[in-house]
Amino acid sequence: MGAPEKLPMENTSLQRVKVYRLNDDGKWDDQGTGHVTVDYLERSEELGLFVVDEEDNETLLMHRISSDDIYRKQEDTIISWRDPEYSTELALSFQEPTGCSYIWDQIGSVQRNLNFNTLSNDSYHSVSSELRELPVVELSTLPLILKTVVESGIADQMRITELILHDQDFFRKLMEVFRVCEDLENVDGLHVIFKIVRGIILLNSPQIFEKIFGDEFIMDIIGSLEYDPDIPHVQHHRSFLKEHVVFKEAIPIKDPVVLSKIHQTYRVGYLKDVILPRALDDATIANLNSIIHSNNAIVVSLLKDDSTFIQELFARLRSSTTSMESKKNLILFLHEFCSLSKSLQMVQQHRLYRDLVNEGMFGIIGDVLQNQDKKLVLIGTDILILFLNQDPNLLRSYVTRQEGIPLLGLLVKGMITDFGDDMHCQFLEILRNLLDSYASGSQRETIIEIFYEKHLDQLIEVITSSCSPTSVGQSVCEYKDSNGSADMIPTKPEILLNICELLCFCVLHHPYRIKCNFLLNDVIHKVLSLTRRREKYLVVAAVRFLRTLISRSDEHLMNHIARNNLLKPIIEAFVSNGNRYNLLNSAVLELFEYIRTENLKILLKYLVDTFWNQLVKFESLPAIHFLKVKYDQSMENSEMKSPINVLESRIRIDERALEKEEEDYFNEDSDEEDSASVSVSLSPQRAISVCFIQWVCSIIKPKIWWTG
Amino acid sequence: MSDLDRQIEQLKRCEPLKESEVKALCLKAMEILVEESNVQRVDAPVTICGDIHGQFYDMKELFKVGGDCPKTNYLFLGDFVDRGFYSVETFLLLLALKVRYPDRITLIRGNHESRQITQVYGFYDECLRKYGSVNVWRYCTDIFDYLSLSALIENKIFCVHGGLSPSINTLDQIRTIDRKQEVPHDGAMCDLMWSDPEDIVDGWGLSPRGAGFLFGGTVVTTFNHANNIDYICRAHQLVMEGYKWMFNSQIVTVWSAPNYCYRCGNVAAILELDENLNKQFRVFDAAPQESRGAPAKKPPPDYFL
Repeated sequence: MGAPEKLPMENTSLQRVKVYRLNDDGKWDDQGTGHVTVDYLERSEELGLFVVDEEDNETLLMHRISSDDIYRKQEDTIISWRDPEYSTELALSFQEPTGCSYIWDQIGSVQRNLNFNTLSNDSYHSVSSELRELPVVELSTLPLILKTVVESGIADQMRITELILHDQDFFRKLMEVFRVCEDLENVDGLHVIFKIVRGIILLNSPQIFEKIFGDEFIMDIIGSLEYDPDIPHVQHHRSFLKEHVVFKEAIPIKDPVVLSKIHQTYRVGYLKDVILPRALDDATIANLNSIIHSNNAIVVSLLKDDSTFIQELFARLRSSTTSMESKKNLILFLHEFCSLSKSLQMVQQHRLYRDLVNEGMFGIIGDVLQNQDKKLVLIGTDILILFLNQDPNLLRSYVTRQEGIPLLGLLVKGMITDFGDDMHCQFLEILRNLLDSYASGSQRETIIEIFYEKHLDQLIEVITSSCSPTSVGQSVCEYKDSNGSADMIPTKPEILLNICELLCFCVLHHPYRIKCNFLLNDVIHKVLSLTRRREKYLVVAAVRFLRTLISRSDEHLMNHIARNNLLKPIIEAFVSNGNRYNLLNSAVLELFEYIRTENLKILLKYLVDTFWNQLVKFESLPAIHFLKVKYDQSMENSEMKSPINVLESRIRIDERALEKEEEDYFNEDSDEEDSASVSVSLSPQRAISVCFIQWVCSIIKPKIWWTG
Repeated sequence: MSDLDRQIEQLKRCEPLKESEVKALCLKAMEILVEESNVQRVDAPVTICGDIHGQFYDMKELFKVGGDCPKTNYLFLGDFVDRGFYSVETFLLLLALKVRYPDRITLIRGNHESRQITQVYGFYDECLRKYGSVNVWRYCTDIFDYLSLSALIENKIFCVHGGLSPSINTLDQIRTIDRKQEVPHDGAMCDLMWSDPEDIVDGWGLSPRGAGFLFGGTVVTTFNHANNIDYICRAHQLVMEGYKWMFNSQIVTVWSAPNYCYRCGNVAAILELDENLNKQFRVFDAAPQESRGAPAKKPPPDYFL
């Protein structure tokens, strides 16, 4: 069910119609082609259909919409009716069915309003239509004013709005009466005024808003809304706004226009969210939001064009004499400033961000990320995310420059820092954005390079230092922070989860780079120590990491896994999970299924050869059963045609020698070809064949062949 | 009163939790959900609920009709978020109940429990609006990945959000799905959350939704027979009467969002099963207008701009 879509009226083909009129001979005369609208008839609140000629702008048709059921829709593009004024049949033939159904709906809703008004408020309707002016505002006329404001039909509301705007003194007098009532503690009067003001706000007129939200009236208006008859206690909105809310000035703002807009924005927001959230309808909320939005745009725009302001801001941020407290305020200000700049037009916002970067924005954030105050650090990351959303290349090119390199390190450090109760997933988000291999821009490779060179080990270290070396199945895997002995560093599980997620991301985005880095330094094995953690979601995360590696379908990687017995921790976790049908169980079974259905022979053979004794007790599970079936089949096949098979069992004998070769192999080829697109000197096919030759060689006579 | 109980009380008033509370809640929920099966076993008596879609006040009506958790044992068939105005409060309340009473409420995943879908249909924007950042959305969508895919009541009633999949003939085949992932665009996991039963289809048909399949009566007969179940209970489609049987009572749709999107004019239903699996549908209307409406937000204590 979708929302009824608004017709984009700038698309004039939707409004394009031909007007026909039935002549005396019973034929349809073409009256011309033009654009149709539903609008108020002149000097009346009645709505009508207008067709204006597309060439000379003459009115082709003017028809008061009737509440009677005279309209017919034919096919998808024709609306016709018998017109009482013309005393004949008229028809509109639309160019497009969407236009036709839009106008058809409009006629329907006008009719509903007409009928509603006659039904619900017949007597009053006739009275207010004759309403020529508002009663003079006095205590005694309040009930009449209230009736006029809140009991009017849709058409009358426009008239009342007009009268209120026309009467220059209306609000001044109303607020005078309000103050008198307040002084006299006239509760009934205050209740009526509350309802009048609420009713006037619900008229949802931008001109009225402009008036009542101006400096002159806004506090009194808010004051009058303290007396809601439905709430037993009087609210204290004014004292909250005057005494409790703090307007902070990180840098004094001198422009009175800016100041006035800032306060107005807060107060309108307060009125919308705190005072009247239950009373407001969607249309009024939308109008209030647009006031806030355009105020924000004005404020940001005036401040950004004030070059002394921006310069002073950055000078203070950089100055060593600025106190910690005011630096903190400056950062908070900067955050608000950047996030409100979303109200600017795209181009302007982009220019502003670029200017801020030129002023040294990222350097400032670098300092912020090193602050002791963790909340402030997170504000810093929020600012970075605003920049990334606007244009990721601003940050990307910064971190590849000499002065920007430390920032990347701070982000990695942030990701592995314990932020207590606070959410700090922003770090992972920012790093992923920076390391995204699908990103454009020349900095991409450099960032990836720096990351692997400087930071990968750091992340792996966090994992190894927080997973006990004891094997799975024993319950001592959790960290203990009470006794000061050589225990695990108590890393929060969510940090480990984030690291594992980032590593999976790396596997997918940097398939070549991870081969060099993961294979040489025993990284995979280290990551898999997560299977020893007590938290099962971390064990599952480790399974997912291995599964992601296997999904690369890289023979070399698979050989590495088999040779180093890297499925061992996974199988152990699976076995010790027993017959529990949980996410761990499913994740491992899915891994087996993948190996079987993708026919990954190396892993299939390794898996069954090595672990079948342990897996056999789960053979009742189809996934395990068919794994063995597949294994048996492929053994039969390979025995028939592959002489190498016999030699295969020797793989593990020469592990060490092979590791060495692996190292040589990667040292030769580990240059910058690490990208998702395969614009690589060593194509994957060749990599595999090199690998295969290497493997065959190693089996037959490793050292001599290879060094020769 | 424990923190969690206090948070449940707060959420019942439709007041969202603080970011730090959401984080702690999600981590606890993760530990519980990771232990659940892709086909989660559920004992009767149980009350089955369909789509909620962020209609918080209507969900409160649901609890009025069906009884409070934990007194009533609940199974929710997904689509907790999007469309309505209170996805945050709705999902967090259900999640808090799950953490507080893990054996008395089961939550399975619907097609809207997805990063991609929530960015289009409201949950993402709601989090951004209510918290000023998307961190809460990130935590919640991470939790979505852990939600179970289906449930099986007393081995007799198979419950799923959408429907069946051509790649699944037996419940065993659901076991080998690694559900900890974003809802994929195709395949078994996707189909469970996206498919619909359809009268005019014989066998399998293309779904107009662009994901999942349409499946006909024979597919349901075969599936129910192969897995020895009485009928399938699912949600996912608006039914004006709140529930609807199809294919000779082999599958039932339960829909629990009255006046869907605040304008469809439908009633909602829940299905109560007693310990002998006797069925009773309880139909209910949308919450009266005056009981809803946004509670006042806390104003920010200070401002620069």
